[in-house]
Amino acid sequence: MPSKRNRRHFLKATGVGLLGSLAGCTRGGDSSGSGGSDGGSGSGDGSGGSGTASEGSGDDLAIPLSEYEDADIEWRQFEGSQINIGAVQHPWVSAIKPAVPVFEELTGIEVVWNILPEQQFRTKRQTDVSTGAGQFDVFYMDQVVNQFREEGWLQPLDPYFEDSSLYDEAWYKPDDLFESSKWQAHGGGYSDTWTGLPITVEVQTQFYRQDLYDKHGLEVAETLEEFRQNAKTIHENESDVVGTVGRGQKGYGMNIYILNTFLREFGSSLWTEFPTDSGLDTDGVINAAEWYVSLLQDYGPEGASTQTWSDVLSTMQEGRAGHIVSDANLFWPGLTGSDSSVADTIGIAKAPRPADGQFSPNAFNWQISTSKNARNSEQAFLFMLWATSQPTNTWMHLENGAAFSVRQSVWENDEFRSRVGENFAQVTLESLQEAAPDPFDRKYPQWGQRYSEELQRAIAGQKSAEEAMTRAASIAEDIYSG
Amino acid sequence: MSTPTQTESTSQPTSARLRELWNDYLPYWFMAPMVLVMVMITFFPGAYDLYLALIEEPTLNVFAAEFAGLSNFETAFTRGGALHSFVVTITVVVSALLLESLLGFLLAALVAGVDSGRTKSFYRVLFILPMAVAPVSMATIGRIMLNSEIGIVPYVINTATPFAAPAFLSDIPLLTVILLDTWNWTPFMFIIFYAGLSSVPDTLVEAARVDGAPLWRRYVHVIIPYMKPVVFVATLIRLIDLFRTFGVVYGLTQGGPGTATQLVSINIYEQMFINNQITVAAAIAIVYLVLVVALCNVIIAKVGFEGVWD
Repeated sequence: MPSKRNRRHFLKATGVGLLGSLAGCTRGGDSSGSGGSDGGSGSGDGSGGSGTASEGSGDDLAIPLSEYEDADIEWRQFEGSQINIGAVQHPWVSAIKPAVPVFEELTGIEVVWNILPEQQFRTKRQTDVSTGAGQFDVFYMDQVVNQFREEGWLQPLDPYFEDSSLYDEAWYKPDDLFESSKWQAHGGGYSDTWTGLPITVEVQTQFYRQDLYDKHGLEVAETLEEFRQNAKTIHENESDVVGTVGRGQKGYGMNIYILNTFLREFGSSLWTEFPTDSGLDTDGVINAAEWYVSLLQDYGPEGASTQTWSDVLSTMQEGRAGHIVSDANLFWPGLTGSDSSVADTIGIAKAPRPADGQFSPNAFNWQISTSKNARNSEQAFLFMLWATSQPTNTWMHLENGAAFSVRQSVWENDEFRSRVGENFAQVTLESLQEAAPDPFDRKYPQWGQRYSEELQRAIAGQKSAEEAMTRAASIAEDIYSG
Repeated sequence: MSTPTQTESTSQPTSARLRELWNDYLPYWFMAPMVLVMVMITFFPGAYDLYLALIEEPTLNVFAAEFAGLSNFETAFTRGGALHSFVVTITVVVSALLLESLLGFLLAALVAGVDSGRTKSFYRVLFILPMAVAPVSMATIGRIMLNSEIGIVPYVINTATPFAAPAFLSDIPLLTVILLDTWNWTPFMFIIFYAGLSSVPDTLVEAARVDGAPLWRRYVHVIIPYMKPVVFVATLIRLIDLFRTFGVVYGLTQGGPGTATQLVSINIYEQMFINNQITVAAAIAIVYLVLVVALCNVIIAKVGFEGVWD
């Protein structure tokens, strides 16, 4: 009899808990969030509760609160309030979600997620900030950062960094964040203030086939010339394998994302003189474009100009390519996982650079920002701080399968390195230390699209790289002047 | 006593007037709900699009908007590449329409000529299948099948024929787009033509045969003229639909390489969602709308519904 009642009690409690978690985004006011008392009562019958965390919280928190309580920050000043987070369906969300109860316990602020597919999210975000609705307190931010900033939609974070009740520099260790990530969070050089905090970073690396390298006695290329030679050897000596693959499809996140690595290594930059001289017709850009175009034409697959990142990845996974010349290090799990037919023989190295050029691979950070109209910007800042802090970041990377940290300490962490692979971690770390992300000026999506179209034309052989880049330069300048 | 009389005397003329109003304009009242719906779903968006095409910066406050004259149209045709995308669209529409009509008719004629009922329905189902595939999934599958390294189509061409497979999406993108659309939509023409063919009376064809008309004459002089309404309607519907093509082409090439397959619909999409130039997108949309409506009206006037339905 008692056991029966216990079971019913347990089922009821589990049911309540399940309903609470299923409700997800729309979860309102009471229940699950803080105390978690009825969720805990089901198991509370038998075991004596863990009680390791501070104060009487019955739940096992993912990260001990003491990690945060050392900080000289008044975590509980907004107790009882609620923040809305607008996010895309993205690995960061799944990696941090299990730890969010820690934040809720720490601050007494309830977190409500609004997770949408990328395109829908962009539309929603645009509407939210441009109409002044201010529904999202925290939201994902990307290439449109300067457009949003110049429209006056973003809330600069500096006032919060200067507020001693909200921020403790000694605890947060901002210097642990990669320079390039901090730079991109400052609008890629276009802003003196923090536009948000970086949450994930990817950097470009080179991938190669170790088995083919052994077979043909090749050595990992450091320079573009060596790389071209390696690609040539494989292309000419293997019947079913092309020398290299690389993104050729147009789009501001496609072919130019790769080319931008090389043009900086050739000593050029986007906007020699903003906004009058795009720099796209300088020698550095033209040389970089010529090198990339001829590499793909000579040793790439047929139709390289239409390859997207997923084509690049799957061609390499199928074992039909000798290299990926330069692409996101996030390909690593895909290339070495069960989807890959060459999982055991993939090598990773730093992206090649010109013999007399500076190594500076492109990187991209997702960041989270808050808007001028958000109702709870200060609470939002606390969340952003907590989410990007060292303890949270370390936990996500050690316990929850993430591999995109913006903190150097994570990439140096031995436990993390042994989990993801020493070589991958070291190459990524060294690349990130010298990374040079794209500065997304406010019209980047617009002229970037046209610039990528021109590059695609060159890769497809419709015009020379020089013609394409000269045309791209005039288009970009025209867009700002007109 | 007098109060009710008074009320009656004032209310009667009002209701009589109302009834008169109702009776006099009876047809309009019946049409009103439909007109309202049309205004909301057709006229309003069109007018709003025109408004967007004529202002400097999009704003919800109509009175605060700055009139831009025709500058958005100018931008559309200079920097926006509208002319090029019109040429691409017309090429695709004309070639795909011709191919689909011819193939659809050929298949319909072949299937109609099959005697066994079971074989007939087998072919009917087989030929209709491609139409059931959603454009975006077709584009995605198409990309994989046409991929020069891992795709089945280049593989088959390279191994089973003496020819080398072209890079479909970069060497012959326009042709690839046209062929894929043909594959997708020939079934539509097939169904309608098949129904049309089935409706041609056997006696008519038989009479022509007895008179000694060879097969092609029977088609050209008897069957096709009899099917004219069906051919006209099918072609018109497909024509209008082809002008709206977006998903297959965007999924397959995103309008590239460069702008080689940039249909007007893709151009509008890119102006709007990538370049964030709503006003230019609206300008192209207006021009496109006017052209397509004008073209369809010319065709209807030339061929004429009256003649068709006789």
